[in-house]
Amino acid sequence: MTASATTKVRLDEPYHRPLLIEGAEDLASVTNRVCGVVERPKPPRAWYIAITISGSMTLMLGAMVVYLISTGVGVWGNNAPAFWGWDIVNFVFWVGIAHAGTLISAILFLLRQKWRTSINRAAEAMTLFAVCCAGMYPAVHVGRIWVAYWLFPVPNQMQMWPNFRSPLLWDVFAVSTYATVSALFWFMGLVPDLATLRDRATTKLKRVLYGFFALGWRGSARHWQRFERAYLLLAALATPLVLSVHSVVSFDFAVSQVSGWHTTIFPPYFVAGAIFSGFAMVVTVMVPARELFGLKELVTLRHLENMNKVILATGSMVGLAYATEFFIAWYGGNPYERFTFVNRAFGPYAWAYWIMIFCNVVVPQFFWSKRIRTNLWLMVVVAILVNVGMWFERFVIIVTSLARTYLPSSWGYFKPTWVDVCTFAGTIGLFFTLFLLFCRFLPMVAIAEVKTVLPAAHAHKENGHE
Amino acid sequence: MSETLGTRSRRWSTLALVVGLAGLVLALVLGSARGDAFKRFEHSWLVSCLYFLSISLGGLFFVIIQHLVRAGWSVVVRRVAELVAANTPVTALLFAPLVVLLLRGDSGLWPWGDVAKVHASPLLEGKAAFLDARFFALRCVVYFGIWIFLGRWLLRRSLEQDGAQDAAPTLALERRAAPAMVAFALSINFAAFDILMTLNPTWASTIFGVCFFAGSMISFFALTVLLLRFLQRNALLGKAVRVEHYHDLGKFLFAFVFFWGYVSFSQFMLIWYADLPEETFWYRDRFHGTWLAVSWVLLLGHFVIPFAGLVSRHAKRRLWLLTFWAVWMLCMHALELFWLVMPGAEKDGALVSPVDFACFAAVGGIWFFALARLAGDKPLVPVNDPRLPESLAFENF
Amino acid sequence: MSEAQGALHSLVAEFDDVDGVSAAARAVRDAGYKAFDVYSPFPIHGIERSMGLRATRLPWLVLACGLTGTVLALFFQWWTNGHDYAFKISGKPLFGVPANIPITFEFTVLLAAFGAFFGMFVLNRLPEHHNPLFENERFRRATDDGFFLAIEARDAQFHERATRELLQSLTKHTVVACHESGESRALPVWVRASMAGAGALALVPLAAIVAARYRDSTQAPFHLIKDMDSQTRYRAQAANPFFADGRAQRPDVAGTVEFDRFRTDPALLTGRAGEAFVDQIPLSVTAELMQRGRTRFAVYCTPCHGGAGYGDGLVAQRAATLQEQAFVPPASLHDPLVRARPAGQIFDTIRNGVRSMPAYGRQMSIEDSWAIVAFVRALQRSQNASVEDVPDAERGRLGTR
Repeated sequence: MTASATTKVRLDEPYHRPLLIEGAEDLASVTNRVCGVVERPKPPRAWYIAITISGSMTLMLGAMVVYLISTGVGVWGNNAPAFWGWDIVNFVFWVGIAHAGTLISAILFLLRQKWRTSINRAAEAMTLFAVCCAGMYPAVHVGRIWVAYWLFPVPNQMQMWPNFRSPLLWDVFAVSTYATVSALFWFMGLVPDLATLRDRATTKLKRVLYGFFALGWRGSARHWQRFERAYLLLAALATPLVLSVHSVVSFDFAVSQVSGWHTTIFPPYFVAGAIFSGFAMVVTVMVPARELFGLKELVTLRHLENMNKVILATGSMVGLAYATEFFIAWYGGNPYERFTFVNRAFGPYAWAYWIMIFCNVVVPQFFWSKRIRTNLWLMVVVAILVNVGMWFERFVIIVTSLARTYLPSSWGYFKPTWVDVCTFAGTIGLFFTLFLLFCRFLPMVAIAEVKTVLPAAHAHKENGHE
Repeated sequence: MSETLGTRSRRWSTLALVVGLAGLVLALVLGSARGDAFKRFEHSWLVSCLYFLSISLGGLFFVIIQHLVRAGWSVVVRRVAELVAANTPVTALLFAPLVVLLLRGDSGLWPWGDVAKVHASPLLEGKAAFLDARFFALRCVVYFGIWIFLGRWLLRRSLEQDGAQDAAPTLALERRAAPAMVAFALSINFAAFDILMTLNPTWASTIFGVCFFAGSMISFFALTVLLLRFLQRNALLGKAVRVEHYHDLGKFLFAFVFFWGYVSFSQFMLIWYADLPEETFWYRDRFHGTWLAVSWVLLLGHFVIPFAGLVSRHAKRRLWLLTFWAVWMLCMHALELFWLVMPGAEKDGALVSPVDFACFAAVGGIWFFALARLAGDKPLVPVNDPRLPESLAFENF
Repeated sequence: MSEAQGALHSLVAEFDDVDGVSAAARAVRDAGYKAFDVYSPFPIHGIERSMGLRATRLPWLVLACGLTGTVLALFFQWWTNGHDYAFKISGKPLFGVPANIPITFEFTVLLAAFGAFFGMFVLNRLPEHHNPLFENERFRRATDDGFFLAIEARDAQFHERATRELLQSLTKHTVVACHESGESRALPVWVRASMAGAGALALVPLAAIVAARYRDSTQAPFHLIKDMDSQTRYRAQAANPFFADGRAQRPDVAGTVEFDRFRTDPALLTGRAGEAFVDQIPLSVTAELMQRGRTRFAVYCTPCHGGAGYGDGLVAQRAATLQEQAFVPPASLHDPLVRARPAGQIFDTIRNGVRSMPAYGRQMSIEDSWAIVAFVRALQRSQNASVEDVPDAERGRLGTR
């Protein structure tokens, strides 16, 4: 029952729940399948090619950051009036992508969606890597990064404190809390799987390394009881956290008086957009990964289809938010607000606006078709276009509003420099490098969690009652 | 399992109707006694109509999403939700007089009903085509049309499943759930703008529809808990609905209390922070005089206290406690709608008037009358639903 | 199996599936054992009931941590922004709760998450890298696909033979004895020494910060990156070998004229003719000049002298409130002494200042200064007029007085 690129997946038979894991998998085969990826002496050749490419892009990122710090922010395209350019666009882009991991881990857990167990480990890892890419931007865009510690409440000789009333500082707290909690959540889930790797380790080095981080886990039911409680509590904490983080990011814009930025729907709209782009990235990454690493029985077409449905739903929410903003801009009667929206569609950045509309509103609608939802190539195309669209959404919001503010004498046109472009490409390289390293050395699928959804875990109850 | 209300339907619906009609007479008398051309009455009537409308809308969302995600746990409670969601025709009837008054140019509610006033203000003149009584009435017809259609369709198909031997009705519901959700989202969002937000035609907030949605969900879950408890107290739904289901309903109640706090805070904080007079006046009207006390009660009573009260697992699994919080949230929802609507009529301070209670009794009585009649002979649990066994055996975390 | 070096730790039974181990747990629980545990590769649903375990206190810990976070964050924001370094920014109150909620929320979640994560590991007594059970090779299957139940020897009910019989009756696999290892469980000396050393070293920067914070120094603060502390530029009076005369500061270019060079009329420029002040304004006083004077007066003079020139401007009022001893209130322009002064003296006062009044000559042109003089004269006239000064046409508007 292995899924190929064009297998038709039946609509759910309401009388029983289909098996989440295909093939006759039992506990040992799941362990072997996932650990096998980590334990094989050499990863597949495609992995080497991929990491060479992404690794060089990461090096380029390093070079760009060094150049930036040594020369100054002028190497970027930021200038009056667009004081925020690709740096903030990319920051919001990456933070948005990071949200899917927590949603899959935490929110789908609270909603008792057992299909999440195959993808949550990879998605959470993706969250952490995306947060790294995101966090780099605020750190280096401040200009004098050697005094970036002024952002933190460290007692200093000037006897000053940061301004906690500013959304920029809320960002500092929100993103760092998010990175920390995601890392804790991810690591906690990893511990039992690291114990599995420790117990299968063939060399002393591997046993010591995996063993150190496995903290001596031995699968004790008493430990599992607290573990599960902690997992539930962290999931319950991570859910409002993920809502709050992208809301705080949206506050960066919404608290201002810039037209096109100051609108109350930004918080939930940004969160929906973040989930939208995050799921698209998960799909983009998991489709090749499951082929390459032989995980098709664990990450089935059904998992991918479910993610595509979430993409459709959140894409529709984003579309609804566009419609609402547009309507209220007209209804509110504020000429500046009306101009902003007209300018977005027909002004100097119209090209960016229409790319955004196409990719965010039109393209996800293809997922109404089950054929497209379950076609591996098409879903990757849609997912990539969604991410392109979401990048452009942030670009349109930030740059068009700044380039065309209240005073026509301040109007300008923002152009990115080659450093902007290379830095962004570098962050993409960093993301994929980290992800490829993760695939190589850590279990990509949450072994212990997947086992809980196998029939073998519920021997005395009826199969498939979840 | 296939219990119905049976003879109780007649008894309860008659009782509700008596309350409703008595309330109506009293409300009309009190309303005219104020001598303000029924302006205060209209505000009270709107609050009550919106109260019961929001409960039905909450039900609509709940039923649609249960079908959309093919949920198993909720089957035993879904019939009650379907009945609540399908109870929109009576709300439409009760709401209609307000629109009729608007069409006649006599509305005390929507300031833009006065065409002269609209043309006197450049801001309102710009949207005179939208703030036009006939166009508004047409939009209301569309909104209520969508809701009535959806509510009836969901109930009808579900009843069809009661009598079916296969899963065809359920599959049809699942397939159509997504477009239904799109229609729901658009209609509730823009209806909130139209009916509630235009009470202050110069004010606008893009998240307003979402705030109304959050409140609707809270009131729906709260009332559903009470309805289920009431039915179980009357020896119906005995074994079917267990503490596990109440626990999940409690989780939803808690989640939407938090969500309400989140969207309401977003709206308030963003308007507070930018401090633009064209936006802040709306809050100033609600922080003025005794309205400030109401605002504080809303913050604490609609969010902080129920958040703390419902966060614990135990609160959601002890039925008397869950019932307490359900009643609490229903009171708070009424206060919220009062706070949203009434500053238009009571500018100097939050004065509750007997006409408010009379209107509530009127609308509520008639609404419950319709609900009891709707429930009539229908099984209170979707028998033959493919996922009924799953729901009956369901166990929570 | 390793050699039996230490005391007996536990008896371990192996099971093939969830049912088996759950049933065994119930049997062991019912037999009255307390110090036993089940080992599985994933959490078994319902095993807590089968084992008779109590609910964990972790949620309370998380709640306590979260509330601590809330209180700390609110207090900290109040203390730093509202008290210790209170500054107003964009009109926000010093402690405006809406603006302080986001950080409070994040910090609450952070501390609660720490409570959940660290609390769980602490309550589980992890990390515990060494456990006698790990000596058993087959036990490795506990993280793969095997299920185990171990009864520890420290249990009150434990009796080697009886317990072994009970366990053997529950499973088809042979029950295995597990012994403590003979080695000490304490960390090696070198690990402890380096941890202590690292801890001591970590305190050094902290001590340095504390010392620097509370000590005075005559030296400039130390900072690594000089920013723009020293700039490559020439200062006045410095030498510059680039130029022939060796000076960095260059003299005027040939043909430079001073400001007002071609205006020679001393009365216009200084308000004096010789030593004495001129009486007349040397410009023609037109309505335009008067208007200009009125607006310039409003800009430059009213803060101290007040709108009508009585010396009751905002600056004077504030100084009076503060009761500044050294502040000399501005003269009323309607004082007979001031009214008697010649126009040139007023001009001179405006341009050069007098007593506490600063010189405004740098801020305005000659013409503007004369315009102000003209306006002052008009103002003085207005406050010292008689009925005869009112034009006939307007006289009717006055009340009968």
